[in-house]
Amino acid sequence: MRPLLRWMTLLLAVLLTAAACQPSPASPPPSPTAAAPAPPSAASPTPGAAAPIRIGAPFNLTGGMASIDVPAANGARLAAEEINATGGVLGHPLELLIRDTKTDPATAANVVTQLIEQDKVVAVIGFNDSDYVLAAGPICQRAGVPFITVGATSPRLPGQVGDMLFLAPFGDNVQAAVGAEFAFEKFGKTAYLLWDKGAEYTTVLAKYFKARFTELGGTIVLEDTYQSGDKDFSAQIAKVKALPQQPAFYYIAALPDDVGTIVKQFRNAGIAGPIVGGDGYDTPLLIEVAGPAAESVFFTTHSLLTADSPNERVRKFVAAYKQKYGTEPEAVFAALGYDSVYMLAEAIRRAGSTNGRAIQQALENLRDFHGVTGVINYSPQSHIPQKGVTVIEAKGGKFTLAAERVPQKVPAP
Amino acid sequence: MQTLGSLEFWIQQGINALGLGSQYALMAVGLAMVFAVMRLINFAHGTVMMAGAYIGWLLLQRGTPFPLVALGMVLGAAALGIAMERVAYRPVRGAPDVALLLNSFAVAVLLENLAILIFSPRSRPFPMPEILTQVLHPGGDLFLPSIHLWALGGALLALTALALFVTRTRLGLAMRAAAENPTAAQLMGIDIGKVTLLAFAIGSAMAGLAVLFWTAHVGTINPGMGFEPVLKAFVACVIGGFGTIPGAVLGGYLLGALEIFLQGILPSGVVGYRDALVYAVLILILLARPGGVLGYLEAERV
Amino acid sequence: MRMSLAHRRWVWALRALLALALLGAGGAVARWGGAYLQRLVILFLINLMLVVSLNLFTGLTGVFSLGHVGFMALGAYTSAILTLPPALKAVNLPDLPAPLSNVTLPFLPALVAGGLVATAVAFLIGIPVLRLSGHFVAVATLGFLIIVRVVLINAEAFTRGTRTFTGVPPATTLGWAALWALLNLYVAMRVKGSALGLQIRAARDDPWGAQGVGVALGRVRLVAFLISAFFTGVAGGLWAHFLTAFSPNAFYFSKTFEIVVMMIVGGMGSISGSVLGTLLVMGSTELLRNLEPGISIGSITLGPLYGLSQIGLAILLMLLIAFRRQGLLGDREWGLEPIAERLGAWWEGRRAERVSLRVRKADP
Repeated sequence: MRPLLRWMTLLLAVLLTAAACQPSPASPPPSPTAAAPAPPSAASPTPGAAAPIRIGAPFNLTGGMASIDVPAANGARLAAEEINATGGVLGHPLELLIRDTKTDPATAANVVTQLIEQDKVVAVIGFNDSDYVLAAGPICQRAGVPFITVGATSPRLPGQVGDMLFLAPFGDNVQAAVGAEFAFEKFGKTAYLLWDKGAEYTTVLAKYFKARFTELGGTIVLEDTYQSGDKDFSAQIAKVKALPQQPAFYYIAALPDDVGTIVKQFRNAGIAGPIVGGDGYDTPLLIEVAGPAAESVFFTTHSLLTADSPNERVRKFVAAYKQKYGTEPEAVFAALGYDSVYMLAEAIRRAGSTNGRAIQQALENLRDFHGVTGVINYSPQSHIPQKGVTVIEAKGGKFTLAAERVPQKVPAP
Repeated sequence: MQTLGSLEFWIQQGINALGLGSQYALMAVGLAMVFAVMRLINFAHGTVMMAGAYIGWLLLQRGTPFPLVALGMVLGAAALGIAMERVAYRPVRGAPDVALLLNSFAVAVLLENLAILIFSPRSRPFPMPEILTQVLHPGGDLFLPSIHLWALGGALLALTALALFVTRTRLGLAMRAAAENPTAAQLMGIDIGKVTLLAFAIGSAMAGLAVLFWTAHVGTINPGMGFEPVLKAFVACVIGGFGTIPGAVLGGYLLGALEIFLQGILPSGVVGYRDALVYAVLILILLARPGGVLGYLEAERV
Repeated sequence: MRMSLAHRRWVWALRALLALALLGAGGAVARWGGAYLQRLVILFLINLMLVVSLNLFTGLTGVFSLGHVGFMALGAYTSAILTLPPALKAVNLPDLPAPLSNVTLPFLPALVAGGLVATAVAFLIGIPVLRLSGHFVAVATLGFLIIVRVVLINAEAFTRGTRTFTGVPPATTLGWAALWALLNLYVAMRVKGSALGLQIRAARDDPWGAQGVGVALGRVRLVAFLISAFFTGVAGGLWAHFLTAFSPNAFYFSKTFEIVVMMIVGGMGSISGSVLGTLLVMGSTELLRNLEPGISIGSITLGPLYGLSQIGLAILLMLLIAFRRQGLLGDREWGLEPIAERLGAWWEGRRAERVSLRVRKADP
């Protein structure tokens, strides 16, 4: 009896594994046919036949990255639906294959391999962190599949992965330079620097800020860190308050989940000077959590994403997002996910083909693309968009435009 | 750093340590409660805190007055604790310690992912009334978030109430007996099942109270929010002595002080190693006094 | 156990058959399997090493380690630093101290070096920590895991801190992974069956009794801990050269949980159980993950249900602890002997039948 049971368990295990390796028969509803759709070619676009163009969209929808990746996936889904509602691309609907990679780089690499090999995606958009981009990027590069990272901002990524990789956002060195230049001019030559030591984005941002700020002639009067997961900043605050003289401003590099908490606790302790940060601050949480304490907080980001923005594209996006998901975009990554899909659709349209190399060429030559997060230009020399940086001030419980600028000098990546 | 020499700086850090320690103590009490009776390091304690926070958030969305929200958080957490004991822990009673620990890991993973499915992983603001969020200025340039006083009060109240409960009531005595020696207690006619359920209910209610004060300090909630608190509570319990309520409270204060003062005095190049030092202290305490600072539980050495 | 010669022949025949089948399967995967399948098989082999090594310590000694992923991290970073080409080192790790900054080792020595570093650290923490009793070792090793993470984040000159460590050559092939996994399985089996293994298990089942008959508890535990740490470190190196990019975040609680679940499912103390547990957990995780985007049953579509695979795994673990606490195999091995015995008995039976038939024919 027992051996039988064991053999059956083994059989089950093997069957499960085999089943797991099969191309998923239950891919999203739009394509009940399991047969891989023939990607349309430039020669024979078959309008009306509507075999979908498949785009892989791996994101960390669960685990530690989830609060950042879910808005990005939502933005991407919204864009794909809008594009399909207006007739798709080259006469074909887009099919966005959103997959959860569990905040695990091994899963990320597996998922991307599966998307390329079994689902035959023509391009991949996704991820907001270098760990996953660098685990999945080389796979796309080898397969010749263009890959737009929605939110990973390390400026060294294209060099590390290859010519198939494009960044939707600007590099962290660009926004950190603008932050440093803006604050140096507006607030003064002394700064306090605090960053989250447990995250790459915040570490890199702080590093570039420091490089540019000291280059300008500024002084960092005190440098301090906290650990991801810390929610009490009283020890750091006490150190700031013990300074013989308060700095002109406080540069704090933090993740979206933490910005509200940090700003609230700093202000509550009586620190009233300007607080400056990066695009992690671009979340409604800042004002929702910090309330009036968010006054005089400045941050660099991609564009002013408010329902009353002068930019019609932005207004439309915010309204559509709110209608679909019942909330304003939770973080700037929603807008970047949205732009990534539109950019890719535009590239496919211009390429007139779903060939990987053709799309890559079209992306590389994408100029003057008006997205929600600004005007995007790529070039064969730069797969990081050269776009202006928006500086936003929290004022009267709202985000308002403080400046739009291009950095005078960008720290080397 | 001569600036750190001022007396005010040290007083401020002392206040900070006391405040953070109160929060940790309150988190640790519930964990210790369950451990005392069941020998279970209930890793899902943090997830119960998270669930309590979401119960409060749901009530808040429906415009419930705040005192009721707070009550709902405590009672909701207790109810979840009871349900958890019934569904997840009762079937495995008597399993080795490690199986129990893993079971609680599984419960934590399950609840966190359910919360992601139901509420989405994004952080939500959790507005609190003025009385919990105001900051006191006890003099000079000193500051003290009032929420820490609430946590301190909560910890002391819980400590007193539990002390009275376990020494003055029949059920409490039964609980203590069950913690001391389950087999003997059972032989004396004590219903271990009932006692365990009670421990879970009280421990989880404490988690509900702890998360109320913690959320007031943090301002946001999300499905992963329970992870750090349960680690802190766990460390506090180990430092103070696992299985004793006073040990958990003391451990909470020691941990709070350790974190605050390390963060306060370490130079900026080394301050990143703060948590490594905290856990090194933890391991040293384990080696020197396996039962913790207040532990009655003398670990066998080999 | 006395084994007849005929029986032993059967065992060997079965072993040969199994080896051939595995070789064939491996060859087929390498030759015809797609990239996705190959990745899964390599990942399976690496996970298998992690589980078997953990089991070699935890299963045999009954002392729980929650810190093995720390050894994996040490192996991963050590081997990756050693194989990174100097040109990349100059870019990615500009502050690396001199002897390391211009040394590049081939894959195999780098892997072994990773394993040795893990072993050395295991020695340092093992001496004090393993003297504690079970529960406290779990707590102390958990502390170790967290300390490793903090050190990795802060030792930026060596690890790039939280920034992704990238540019590691993709040297882990199916062959390498299979070779190491087999070696690991073989060593684990040998240790379990050896005098050392007997001592270790005796100490687990009755610590005082074992000490009474002269087993040095601390020493045998330490030896198991060191062997286990070595293979975990090597597995970390294989993992690093498989993924080629990683950061300290990869070596933390979720990986620990994953490995521990695989071990528990298979059975603590059973090496063949580890194979089964790894296969079952990875299989069901992949299957559930593939169902996450949406399940269509007839006209009803359910989903998307992201997180389904974690939920499924958690429920699997809870059910297992409730109904089959010792795991699928307990601490028994799933050897070929019982099958050989049956085959032998069946063969003998047939022969006896034939003989008796012949006898009957010859004797009308």
